[in-house]
Amino acid sequence: MALFKHKRMEAGKPLREDTTGLMDVPFLLLVVLLTLIGLLMLFSASYARANWEKQGDSAYYFRRQVYFAVGGLAAMLLAGRVSYFIWYRSALLVLSVSIGLLALVPLIGVEVNGAKRWLKLGVLFQPSELVKVGMIFAFAAMMSAWQHKMDTFRYGVLPYAAILALVAGLLYLERHLSATMIIFLIGAVMMLLGGTKKRWLFFGAMIGVAFLTIYIMKKGYAGGRFSAWLDPEADQLDTGYQIIQSKYAIGSGGLLGLGLGRSRQKYLYLPEEVNDYIFAIVCEELGFVGAVGILLLFALLVLRGYWIAIHARDRFGTLVAGGLTTKLALQVFLNVSVVSGLIPPTGISLPFFSSGGTALLLQLFEMGIVLSVSRWCTNKEISGRSHA
Amino acid sequence: MAKKPKQPLKAPKAVPAYDREKAGHGVLRRTTFIMVFCGILLFIPLFARLFKLMVLEHDQYESRAISNQTRSTTVSADRGTIYDCNMNILASTKTVENVFIDPWEIHNAKEDVDFIAEGLAKILEIDPDTIREKAAKLERRYEIIARKREPEQADAVRSFISENKLTGIHLESDSMRYYPSGSTAAQVIGFTNAENRGGEGLEAYYDEVLQGTAGAVITTKGNYETQMLYSYEKYYNASDGNSLVLTIDTTVQLYLEKNLKAAIEKYDVKNGAFGIMMDVNTGAILGMAIEGSYDPNHYLEIMDLSVLAELDKLSEEMADYSKESEQYKDLAKQYNSLEASARLKQWRNRCVSDGYEPGSTFKTITLAAALEEQAVDLNTTFYCSGAKDYRDRESTLHCWKETGHGYETLPKALQNSCNIAFADIGILLGGSKLYDYINALGLMEKTGVDMAGETTGVFHSREKLMENAQLTTVAFGQSVKPTPIQMVRAISAVVNGGYVLKPYVVSEILDENGTVIQKNGKTVLRQAISAETSKLMCSLIESVVTDGTASNAKLPGFRVGGKTGTSEKLDVYENGVQTKDRIVSFVGIAPMDHPQYICLVALDSPSRETGIYVSGGVMAAPVVRDIFADTLLYLGVQPDYTDVDMSTVNVLMPDVRDQDEESAAALLQAQSLTYTTVGSGEIVSGQIPAPGEQLPGNSKVILYLGAPVPTDEVTVPNLKNLTPDEAKGVMENSGLYLQTKGSYRYYSVVTDQDYAPGETVPRGTTVTVELTDQTALD
Repeated sequence: MALFKHKRMEAGKPLREDTTGLMDVPFLLLVVLLTLIGLLMLFSASYARANWEKQGDSAYYFRRQVYFAVGGLAAMLLAGRVSYFIWYRSALLVLSVSIGLLALVPLIGVEVNGAKRWLKLGVLFQPSELVKVGMIFAFAAMMSAWQHKMDTFRYGVLPYAAILALVAGLLYLERHLSATMIIFLIGAVMMLLGGTKKRWLFFGAMIGVAFLTIYIMKKGYAGGRFSAWLDPEADQLDTGYQIIQSKYAIGSGGLLGLGLGRSRQKYLYLPEEVNDYIFAIVCEELGFVGAVGILLLFALLVLRGYWIAIHARDRFGTLVAGGLTTKLALQVFLNVSVVSGLIPPTGISLPFFSSGGTALLLQLFEMGIVLSVSRWCTNKEISGRSHA
Repeated sequence: MAKKPKQPLKAPKAVPAYDREKAGHGVLRRTTFIMVFCGILLFIPLFARLFKLMVLEHDQYESRAISNQTRSTTVSADRGTIYDCNMNILASTKTVENVFIDPWEIHNAKEDVDFIAEGLAKILEIDPDTIREKAAKLERRYEIIARKREPEQADAVRSFISENKLTGIHLESDSMRYYPSGSTAAQVIGFTNAENRGGEGLEAYYDEVLQGTAGAVITTKGNYETQMLYSYEKYYNASDGNSLVLTIDTTVQLYLEKNLKAAIEKYDVKNGAFGIMMDVNTGAILGMAIEGSYDPNHYLEIMDLSVLAELDKLSEEMADYSKESEQYKDLAKQYNSLEASARLKQWRNRCVSDGYEPGSTFKTITLAAALEEQAVDLNTTFYCSGAKDYRDRESTLHCWKETGHGYETLPKALQNSCNIAFADIGILLGGSKLYDYINALGLMEKTGVDMAGETTGVFHSREKLMENAQLTTVAFGQSVKPTPIQMVRAISAVVNGGYVLKPYVVSEILDENGTVIQKNGKTVLRQAISAETSKLMCSLIESVVTDGTASNAKLPGFRVGGKTGTSEKLDVYENGVQTKDRIVSFVGIAPMDHPQYICLVALDSPSRETGIYVSGGVMAAPVVRDIFADTLLYLGVQPDYTDVDMSTVNVLMPDVRDQDEESAAALLQAQSLTYTTVGSGEIVSGQIPAPGEQLPGNSKVILYLGAPVPTDEVTVPNLKNLTPDEAKGVMENSGLYLQTKGSYRYYSVVTDQDYAPGETVPRGTTVTVELTDQTALD
């Protein structure tokens, strides 16, 4: 287990007198397990579309995802070995750079599926994903730095509200409602964790709901999605099509599913089956039992993530691990809710499953940071037995 | 805002004393709260939602998903065959092809639409513009260009496609009904429409039986017709339709039609003719013909030449106007309604769907009832002065013979078809009783024959019939209107021992393997009159031919009976004036000792300008006689020549050449022929007529004993209007033989001859003439 051992902290840096433990094994195993299941399901779900779009190259999406998964696992282990304190120090840099990239999107962004949310700098990625991470770093850093002033407006509300407002403004230019929502939710949870007064959070929540209402009522295409969600049968061939096809896939899975690889809806009936709607194919092939099993794995991962946060050595570790875990939990909840028609459709991918190399790489990297936090956990059960 | 976020930038340096203390209690408590919320509570609605969709509503979504993912291709079933009683095919199905285009595909493949349109139009013989119009419907995937084309045309389309490497033109197989014998029994068999469903006749009546069940192949298919890795296919086998075996005998049917057509031509019949031949003991229909007919292979084509001429005239007139003008629209309306009514008329099976005026043939019904009720007997005597007044009857009743029949016994009254005698019989019987028998003989109910569109006849109510005015009219066969099939069945009952039968035309239903799955046969509904009365009626009906108005129906060797009928069509008006149009009919039965076949022939509105008296006895009786002559032997009825004058029957001239006189004489005698000799040799060197020729029995042939045989031809004399004896004398002088058919009475006259006057024929040829009893005016 020497691999996970941190030899020594750099001299003069905080934590130097601390000995390090192992990375949290349950968390690591859950991440690896979900990544492997995700790869397998992506192969199955993308089989028909790859065949159709890439002239018979049925493993096209799978292959790309494998490259990024390998890279992502490496990034995770690397991030796990590095002291997470470097993210304390570079938090505002990361946030500034990611906001800067986000601001570039309206100028030199790349359009995919009719939405301009991507940047191509070597690889294709969504700056909004980076902003989420940068924001978690920055919020955690500020909240731990100003932990005794969190009950004031100036240190407990204003900086975060300002950052959120700036990011929301940039995301509005992208028409990226789902990212805005996730960022606000993560921000709210972090402010809650960090100690912002509840009345301010309540006030913020009211503003958020008001904005959301206005947005849904004003925006044509989101409005169309909204009515399609309420009554997908009304326009089966157009706005309701995706919801209905997704329900066909989920519903026909039944208790035990059609069997791995035997989905029928993936034969180009269900749009976005490789990306946001991959969970519908999971349901169709693995059934209720399989789908619940995978959700349980996610739930365990989320629980373990918070468990690590609670046992973190310091407040920054708690907030970073808590923020990243919250991000994961929200992504899973919102994705499955959309796919199963619980909430109106909006573009949110499923971590570890949806196609998208950079997203997977970033996700695994984030898991690495949580693992890094776990190495300095105070709890003996984590670091105790194999303590160096 | 620019300032505030900047402050934390310095924070790490400004706060060197980074608090490495574990996060405080408040943070941990809040994190625990979030942990429970995000790690447990958030997942509960997801589980619930999935449980609802995947377990509770699974069946609903599964079936909808399957219908979403499957494609069904129908496998058409072959329609059953229709056979006649000897398993000759009357209707069968052949495979043809439809040609269709996929405008969307053509557009996407950037094919040359004009080239395709011109090429297809040439092969399929259609207008290229209609193809262009259809190809312009870009959103469509299926536009039929031509339906039900023969394999040759389909192959031509296929090679047109492959030679020019075209996409978007497709063929699909279809089936087409085929009627090998064309218009034969067309109204009985009917036809199928473009959708291969029965449109008329048996095709409609037995549509469900003939149709079969289409099969299907259900396959899972990916969207955009992609193949699935794990697909499944399910087959539902098509089961072909059942076949029908009819009681119709094509041979009988063809003779029926031939003789009806000949009669229409001979008597210039204006409104068509119909005939039914039925087995009187079983109700099996051997033939049912309706002229003007049509060809079910092209059932939309109008066969009535006069209607066609009218239609041509209309379309010529239409050409003078623009398509938008009122006149054009009016004419087009006229054209369409004329065409439609002509079609309906030629498809209509008058024998079961329409009533007709039976005239005096109905007297058999009245008489059978009166004999059964013993209201009259054979010795009852009537007096006919030509006209008679009845109580409660406003108009005087006139007999068809203005001078009257005088005193007459019952058999004579029937033979004379005396209206006054039958009015008297009606009164003796009583209206209520007559009504009972009309009813019992099935004239007021549908016969139940297995044919489409049967109707029932028109009769007075019991109360009306009990009034003298109606009773005296109905009794001799006026103001009644049964359908032909009802009339045939009623008279069958009169002669078959009294049994009212259910007529039928389908004897067997076969499944697709040819196994009989249903057999139809004789169905006796009830006995309407006693066997004794029936037997008596048989002898009376036979006497009408031997001694009455139906002598023209005489057929040597066969005991034919029957009753003539002539009736004015009371409900036909032309320009508001009642026409003098008549419907003449004859019901014949043979053989009378054991009645087997009944044949009804009716000619609707023969012309009054041919010089031939318009009556059933003169016109319809010979038709039935000819039908019997053509069919009775074929049907296995043995002729009996014992009591027949052999001179009315043709015999075969034997070959007696190279024989001595003695053996030649024996051969000739065997054929009931006599001879004279010319020359003085021992051996017969020549003979007239030549061997194998037909000539009347009892004729004298000429044997040449060494003398040369004359080879000159002789001219056929004009025999018209000569009596039989006169004609015989003329013919003997010409060196020809005379054969007669019809009424061989001293006062009958020749109305027709098979070799025209002036024609030259070899010596010893037999000329057949039609003898007509011109006094048979009913």
